[in-house]
Amino acid sequence: MSDTSPFDHRPDPELGRALEEALSAPDDERFARQVMAAADSAFGADALESWWQELTAWARPGLVAAMLLIAAGAFWMGSQMAQRGNGNGTNALGDPLSAADSEQLGVPMLLAGSEAPSVDAVLAVALEY
Amino acid sequence: MKDAELAALAQAGDRDAFGELVRRHAAQARRLARAILGDPDEADDAAQDGFLAALRSLGRYDPGRPFGPWLLRIVANAASDRRRRRKVRRAEAISPKMHGAEPGPDTVTDRSSFRQAVLAALEKLPERQRLATVLFDVEGYSHKEISEVLGVPIGTVRSDVFHARRTLRTELDAWKDWRESE
Repeated sequence: MSDTSPFDHRPDPELGRALEEALSAPDDERFARQVMAAADSAFGADALESWWQELTAWARPGLVAAMLLIAAGAFWMGSQMAQRGNGNGTNALGDPLSAADSEQLGVPMLLAGSEAPSVDAVLAVALEY
Repeated sequence: MKDAELAALAQAGDRDAFGELVRRHAAQARRLARAILGDPDEADDAAQDGFLAALRSLGRYDPGRPFGPWLLRIVANAASDRRRRRKVRRAEAISPKMHGAEPGPDTVTDRSSFRQAVLAALEKLPERQRLATVLFDVEGYSHKEISEVLGVPIGTVRSDVFHARRTLRTELDAWKDWRESE
């Protein structure tokens, strides 16, 4: 070995080379591929699990959003049908729009009375705006 | 890209970033594991265990500190665990007659290659000394970094490197003398 003192605070190149040669294994690239394959198989299940957890976390707000959209769509379709129809059917059901037409539809009308307005009247005003 | 940046990407699920970290540190990790275990196949298994454990623990890695010593500490732990388990298995399996079958100094000097002589000399060192001298003389880590890998004070690392070098030089000089006299 080299004459470097054991007390030396610098690496001993000769000893280092001898140790490196003795300890080094061939084909680091193949080893890296094996590690990646092991990582894929070890964490594949975890990755699926986290994906499912994420999906579950989004399910509740997604469901609420979908219900709101359906409700809004139903209101919109109802108002479209009411505008296009001849009015017989809606009059028979007591269409709040046609009823409100004759009562000067608007927010002031809702606030004018001493009692709380009906739900139909509020919806009719909302659709008007 | 720096190791710390790759580690952050890997933690966020970037497979390629983890792959790059593995490629960068594969050689060091394999050498360190082999210094502990001796057997190259078992060393590779331990190094792989270390990389997977590091991947699981990336959240605990401090990006302000060098990645290499942090990783090598995990690899060294994985290799030491395997060594302990192997000792237990051997102790369970070994028969009284086999105690005398371990290679003695004569067997060691009979080995023909320098590489085998180095490995045999390493085998004689206590595990911590072995790691200290490999990390210092092969991997070029500072005493301070080695103290972080091994979890011991810097003074202990200096002492370990000193004793390991002295033993290795004595063993290898003896081997050289023997070869020259052949």
